[in-house]
Amino acid sequence: MKLEIISFGKISEFIRQQQIEISDVINTDQLKSYLETSFPQLAGMKYKLAINQNVIQSNQSLKNEDKVAIMPPFSGG
Amino acid sequence: MDNERYSRQLILKGFGVEAQNKLINSRILVIGAGGLGCPILQYLVTAGIGTIGIVDDDTISLSNLHRQILYATNDIDQPKVKVAAKRLRLMNPETHIVEHELRLDKSNIFNTIESYDIIVDGTDNFDSRYMINDVCAILQKPLIFAAVAGFEGQLAIFNVKNEQGIATNYRDLFPISPLPGEVSNCAENGVLGVLPGIIGSMAAAETIKLVTGIGQPLISKMLHYNLLNQATYTLNISPGNDYFLPESKADFLLSNEEQLCPKTPVFEEIDLATMQLLQEEASALVIDVREKHEFPLLNKEIFLQVPMSEFNTFVQNNIAAESIVLLCQHGIRSVAAAELLQEKYGHTKKIYSLKGGISKWRNHFLTKQNE
Repeated sequence: MKLEIISFGKISEFIRQQQIEISDVINTDQLKSYLETSFPQLAGMKYKLAINQNVIQSNQSLKNEDKVAIMPPFSGG
Repeated sequence: MDNERYSRQLILKGFGVEAQNKLINSRILVIGAGGLGCPILQYLVTAGIGTIGIVDDDTISLSNLHRQILYATNDIDQPKVKVAAKRLRLMNPETHIVEHELRLDKSNIFNTIESYDIIVDGTDNFDSRYMINDVCAILQKPLIFAAVAGFEGQLAIFNVKNEQGIATNYRDLFPISPLPGEVSNCAENGVLGVLPGIIGSMAAAETIKLVTGIGQPLISKMLHYNLLNQATYTLNISPGNDYFLPESKADFLLSNEEQLCPKTPVFEEIDLATMQLLQEEASALVIDVREKHEFPLLNKEIFLQVPMSEFNTFVQNNIAAESIVLLCQHGIRSVAAAELLQEKYGHTKKIYSLKGGISKWRNHFLTKQNE
């Protein structure tokens, strides 16, 4: 399965915008653990996933060419 | 109303006197008179909002001036609220400016917020942001959220029902606040002055749209803006179910103590020897929060496996054990899990995280496997 990854803020410093090709990931829970294993810095951070611009609130299946956004909280003012 | 002052927006197609009257009859509270607050205040005041409250307890410093454009060099050391109010009254004497020279806390936030129609959050720290979010959610008060980090900004509108009748709040995105130091702010990270200028102006635009009913305000949407490539990305927010929000003012005043104070973790990071001691003497429950595919596999009779991805669901059940040790590969996710348990149990249970995780004490865990 091909996924497009876009990330923001600090997360974009270690996860660049990219296409990934993964075979054994079929849902967002698995994607989270894939991302946290591939990018260990992510595991200790607060972030929210969105698929095709919709924020994920519970495990959801993925399909080819889904667009994954990884968003951290900002507090500056 | 001075028609000439507002003539250029009065002649706008789809705006006119009706929209202008809505602005004049509205009461807006802007929290934080800093990088975001300055442009927000300027554009709301010049647009002709009837009443604007300003909340801030800070004074002006030299390093503020590159982005806090209401202030001049000879204002240094003066209270922001006073200087901003004076300047804004000159800009538009028709707007009633209310000065709230204070830092919002549990004791004053309800009184300060209650009489306003819309709250605009331009603060610079998570403690304030979560407190403002929770109180606005309890009061179902529309909240314009604006924040910046590095070269990027975020903008959203909460507590306003969308076409489906659903409203969201900040905790639907980020259920619990990052710990102090986990996410850096402008003071530590730096910010280009124009960025809060852009995001603040956009926040003022969203406020005007919400008041007048024009366009499509960012209701339950989070707009991301990147100054470096002028890219925007908008996410649709749906309600989450994995957070605690007080239901009423009374609930908030009772339950929110921990959250409003700077967080001191009540869980403890421990080494292997301490973990073994806890297992033997305190019959501690040891939870492995790694995902199911991660190696080495541990003995499931000794280590309860609850992957991080299922942890929020797991936390909803009650745990009988008095002592709980969390572990993962490197001791990072186990800290996040400890925070979640701390949110639920506070000081009523002893919560530990194995520092360094399985990889640090690999020999021990590999031997355990062979037993």
